[in-house]
Amino acid sequence: MASQTVVRELQCDLENKADDLSKLQKDISKNHQIRKKYTIQLGENELVLKELDLLNEDANVFKLIGPVLVKQDMAEAKANVKKRIEYISTELTVLLELWMLVWLRNYSLHSISDLLILGAAN
Amino acid sequence: MEAPIKGTVTSLSSLFPVEEAQKASKRVEESITERQKQLDQLREFAADNNTLINLVQRLPDQLHHEIMVPFGKAAFFPGHLVHTNEFLVLLGEGHYAERTAKQTVEILNRRGKALEVQVEAVKALMQDLKAEASFFDATASEAADGLVEIREDYVEETSTKEASMKGTVKPELTISSEAENVPSVKDEEYDRILSRLAELEKEEEEAENANQEELGEAGSDISLDDVILEEEMKSSELKERGESRFQSTEKFPDNWHVQGSKSTSKDCIVPENCLPENLAYGKFNLTESAPREPQAKEDAPREPQAKEDVKAPVIAEAKADALPTKPGFDSSKAFTGSIIEHTSDVNSREQSVSHSSKPVSRFKMQRK
Repeated sequence: MASQTVVRELQCDLENKADDLSKLQKDISKNHQIRKKYTIQLGENELVLKELDLLNEDANVFKLIGPVLVKQDMAEAKANVKKRIEYISTELTVLLELWMLVWLRNYSLHSISDLLILGAAN
Repeated sequence: MEAPIKGTVTSLSSLFPVEEAQKASKRVEESITERQKQLDQLREFAADNNTLINLVQRLPDQLHHEIMVPFGKAAFFPGHLVHTNEFLVLLGEGHYAERTAKQTVEILNRRGKALEVQVEAVKALMQDLKAEASFFDATASEAADGLVEIREDYVEETSTKEASMKGTVKPELTISSEAENVPSVKDEEYDRILSRLAELEKEEEEAENANQEELGEAGSDISLDDVILEEEMKSSELKERGESRFQSTEKFPDNWHVQGSKSTSKDCIVPENCLPENLAYGKFNLTESAPREPQAKEDAPREPQAKEDVKAPVIAEAKADALPTKPGFDSSKAFTGSIIEHTSDVNSREQSVSHSSKPVSRFKMQRK
């Protein structure tokens, strides 16, 4: 009798943990996607910086803002690109730390749920 | 037989359940198709890049080109393309730069190189995934066939001739040696093995002469097909019961499956049909590396070489991937893993050997 209630409790616990786990999984996948996007952008910006460095100082650089091509100063353009690169890198590190946290929680929840399953089986 | 050797028999299907192996192989195949798509996309980009380079190079040839200018979604009007040497190149992230044709071509070339690097990376990934997939397939088929892994501790034995493996239904044999069990050489055993090899060689030559036409090329070297023939004859003598079934040579390579094991030292590769002599050869392989240098017998290097020729291509086959063939046995590059062998009908084997120049030559080709 007592064992039955214990089993039911264990099952409830297990369900809760399963829900938490699925939420965490979603978080992890979202995190992955965002990080991928940022990584691609970072790569592109680095390419742009490389090309800009290869240009002469008097070359014309334009920026596409909406439907408008605006002439930009070389130095200004370089500075902008550099700032963007820095911003993306900081975002990436923050996301990475978040991901680590979430992943650790996920892992611990996995182990807890495994234990619960074993307990329920017994 | 010697004192009973303790061993464990584990069914492969318990280690790697069939469905799991199949699922795993499917997963890997999916990832392979994904990567293939990526690869195709990258290749498209590279092709586009090249056409663009050609176009950019041709434009400055004329001061102005006559073209049909697109006007809206579904209209064109005739016009001229002027300023043929001025290009606004997209650098990325909404930044454009005004460049000449030559400079544009340089930028495009750099982009092309970056694409190539990406293509190489994806190709490398694909290779790894393919290797994984083939391994999973092999494991799945093995497990489905009901292979059994037999692990035995290696015990130094004085006489191995009597080690008769009863021909049961699909006897499988895995010989894995642990480093600590490699015994020191016993000269009598070694001599006995050598004499045995001499016998076998004689029989090979007889067999070779007998089957010269069918086999086609009969090299002066001891070839694998000869050894197979000779061993098959031996085994047919020994296995009068005929219960053991050898699989045809056609499937011969498939039987030599690689099973990743934890063994640290060399594993013995044994011709399947000489099961009674398996242990002998196995020991031979184990021990021969150690005394190979000190034993400066004339026969010794040649016969180990002969055996190694046999084993090396078999190892190559066993790897199941395109490995470079190693005609010589190099202990430093020894194959560390366990081989699981199949044995099946002698009869089918004899038939297939007699008119199977194809698998024979395949071994030969592999050796070359």
